Amino acid sequence: MSILSVEFLIFVAAVILLFYLLPKKVRWCVLLLASVGFYLMSGWQGGVYLLAVAVLTWFSARHIGKLRARMDEVLQEENPAAKRKLRHRMRAWLTVCLLLVLGALVFIKYFEPGRIALNAILKFFNNRTQFEAFEVLVPLGLSYFTFQSVGYVVDVYWGKVKAQPNFFKHLLFVSFFPQIMQGPISTYEQLAPQLLAPKAFHPQRMTMGFQLMLWGYFKKLVLADRLASVTNTIAAGGEQQGWLILLGIVLYTIRLYGDFSGGMDVVRGVAMMLGVDLTENFRRPFFSTSVAEYWRRWHISLGTWFRTYVLYPLSISRLGDLLSKIGKKTLGKKAGRMLPGAVATFLIFLLIGMWHTANWNALIFGAYFGVLMGTAMLLEPLFKVIRKKLHITDKTVWWRIFGWGRTMVLILLAQYFACTVSPEQAWTLLQGTFAAWDFAAAEETLTGFMAWREWIIAGGALLIVLLVDILCERKVDVNGRLAKGTFFLRWPVLLVLIMVILIFGYYGEGFDSTAFLYANF
Amino acid sequence: MQAKIPETATRKEKILFALRAIVFAVLLAALLSYTLYVLVPKYDYGICSITNLYQQEDDTVDVLVLGTSLAYGGVNTNVLWEEYGIAAYNLCGAEQPYWISYYYLQEALKTQHPQVIVLDAKPATYPDDYSRRGRAFLGTTGIKDPIIRLRALLSSVAPENYASFVAGFPQLHSYYPDVTLDNFAYPPNNGGRGFDWQGYIESTETEVHSKPSLVWSSTKKNVNPRQVEYFRKTVELAQRENIPVMVIGIPNPDYANDHMYYNTLWEVADEYGVPHVNYNDPTNRYGLLYSSCFSDWQHLNVKGSVIFSRKLGADLKEMFPLPDRRLDEGYDAWRNGSEAWYETYPEYLPEKPEEGAPA
Repeated sequence: MSILSVEFLIFVAAVILLFYLLPKKVRWCVLLLASVGFYLMSGWQGGVYLLAVAVLTWFSARHIGKLRARMDEVLQEENPAAKRKLRHRMRAWLTVCLLLVLGALVFIKYFEPGRIALNAILKFFNNRTQFEAFEVLVPLGLSYFTFQSVGYVVDVYWGKVKAQPNFFKHLLFVSFFPQIMQGPISTYEQLAPQLLAPKAFHPQRMTMGFQLMLWGYFKKLVLADRLASVTNTIAAGGEQQGWLILLGIVLYTIRLYGDFSGGMDVVRGVAMMLGVDLTENFRRPFFSTSVAEYWRRWHISLGTWFRTYVLYPLSISRLGDLLSKIGKKTLGKKAGRMLPGAVATFLIFLLIGMWHTANWNALIFGAYFGVLMGTAMLLEPLFKVIRKKLHITDKTVWWRIFGWGRTMVLILLAQYFACTVSPEQAWTLLQGTFAAWDFAAAEETLTGFMAWREWIIAGGALLIVLLVDILCERKVDVNGRLAKGTFFLRWPVLLVLIMVILIFGYYGEGFDSTAFLYANF
Repeated sequence: MQAKIPETATRKEKILFALRAIVFAVLLAALLSYTLYVLVPKYDYGICSITNLYQQEDDTVDVLVLGTSLAYGGVNTNVLWEEYGIAAYNLCGAEQPYWISYYYLQEALKTQHPQVIVLDAKPATYPDDYSRRGRAFLGTTGIKDPIIRLRALLSSVAPENYASFVAGFPQLHSYYPDVTLDNFAYPPNNGGRGFDWQGYIESTETEVHSKPSLVWSSTKKNVNPRQVEYFRKTVELAQRENIPVMVIGIPNPDYANDHMYYNTLWEVADEYGVPHVNYNDPTNRYGLLYSSCFSDWQHLNVKGSVIFSRKLGADLKEMFPLPDRRLDEGYDAWRNGSEAWYETYPEYLPEKPEEGAPA
């Protein structure tokens, strides 16, 4: 069931009604039933897979939790041998669990590209063996619930949280319906307590949730999907003016933001109405003045997950120590200390790239950011000296403008690989950008994509999004203020917003509404 | 920065919220309903026939015609009035299936009690189970009674599309570029004909056809079961109201195929004792000429409609005890409508019979 469908809205309304009609104690059961029902509507096979992951992670976490409890007892007894033994057993449970859950994720996501690559290699070596294709079912929200449940098991292993004894409560944590399709990826600590003891009904919460939902639909349906046909056509290539390609890349970036952050707002809005505050996944990324900041503001929960469960463990691992020693020898003390972090960052971005799609472009996308971020980390001591000599601080206006421009250029450059499917295609677009810039037929070209009316609507929507983002960036709680404000202001705003979405949104008959770009990852 | 939401709300706050939510929902529903109305394209061949029916005085329609474009372009209500004093109204739409006719009849019976219902046989030839998107809205939007409108809409679309059609916007919002100021008006503009219009839509063009090499047969082609179902429902409803029904095949040049479906429909009509006449009989053309009486491959033009309506009027008078309303009070709409129409087409006034008119 798409969150853009009428059925979804009816479903959400029914769940909210039931949720608040029933006593607080059983509300988590309503959420569980709704989540399981929602998931099963996308097909029972996916449901079986989700159940298997939930069982496996619950069982592993339970065992690890028990072992940890015993280890705590052993610690008091000061028995190092027993402690070591228990630690090994815990690690074994964790390893098996991670191998199974993440292995299945890798298999499902990379089976087909792996098969194609293997066939290509075999062909290259004149081997006649070719592996036949077969359809691998990709369960809804596969990587989101996989990451979330894996994070939980690791947290139990680290002793950050206690293992959940009730399987059904664990199942709810894994399958909570608003976030299952495209995140955000929450930690157990953040999400589970809210799911199991949701906040009481409050008018302000309902209003804010509803407003957030509307805002999400606005960004997705009025802005992002309106730009989709334009960006898809430009990305497909062909004879195009340089300015048009650049415009296409800029619009693609806006579309991606509108699509993903819009989806997040809908998801967070629904959860909010159900008494659950989901973690923020986007914090106005296009106001960033560095690439690092951009990644702290874009798909925050994924970045946090990789930082928590991959970067930090990798940095403090034996490999990290070794890299640190090598770095200190070759790059000097200050930069050398950064080497493990830089290498781990590079690896993480490579993984993030691969997580997006299993193709070369995704790998290049990840490697590109990995190199940028890793290099920036290594050169930071040098940059610090230069900034000091030039008297540049974080508040220096021209430096901030320069930083913003530089970041946008670097981000746009990456989008050439994000919006295309092969490095050749990306390269052709990139070359084309610096070729002919002739505006003679600009009007004809633009109206060839969509009528002026549509461009004006898209422009208006973009301005509104920009305005709200500027206000939010200035710490104005737009949603909260509107919810708390007089209804003489709120009602007209909401009514207009609803009408704009319903009339100008790209959905239903006559429009090529696209699925969320980050759904079903 | 998000405002901190208090943990609990007072009872008063909750009640106030609930009340406001209800008022907001009502306001929103009204706004959405009107916006949907605005978005629906307004054509004289769709929504206008039902909206204009509400403008007629109660219990004035004697002959209610339910049917397709063949009916609204063929049954010339002005001729029926001028020559026979019959107060007829075409409650018709383009490709109007029997499921729409059925609900139209339900709605019409609230204000009118016709003495005869004339049912167009053409829907019997339509193969589809459901209406097309535009047609579903054109046929139902004008119905005032929300329950009847909803039923009519649900009968027009496949069950898997109920949600998006009932919500309306997923199906209709793509029409926003075509919205003009006219779309906001209620009742909608029926082509400038005003309220004194009884649903006749003339086709002024003439397309020359030649007499087809007809194979007239008694073969019966299967009529779509949903059309049969609603045909039956319509007849049964009329009979419950003691209103006689007449089923007619309306002339068009492309009749070789149609009559085989009609053969099936006549059987159903016979079950109810409903008279049926195929005015598309090639052996009896009562003055209709292939060369000058059709506007296209399906429809009669003005001349054709005059000739056909003279024949239909005569038959109606013969078959049913229909009063001559020309001198009655309360029939200004027919008088004015007819007068205006004959001002445009004086050549069809009865004093000057047209070539080919019945003797």
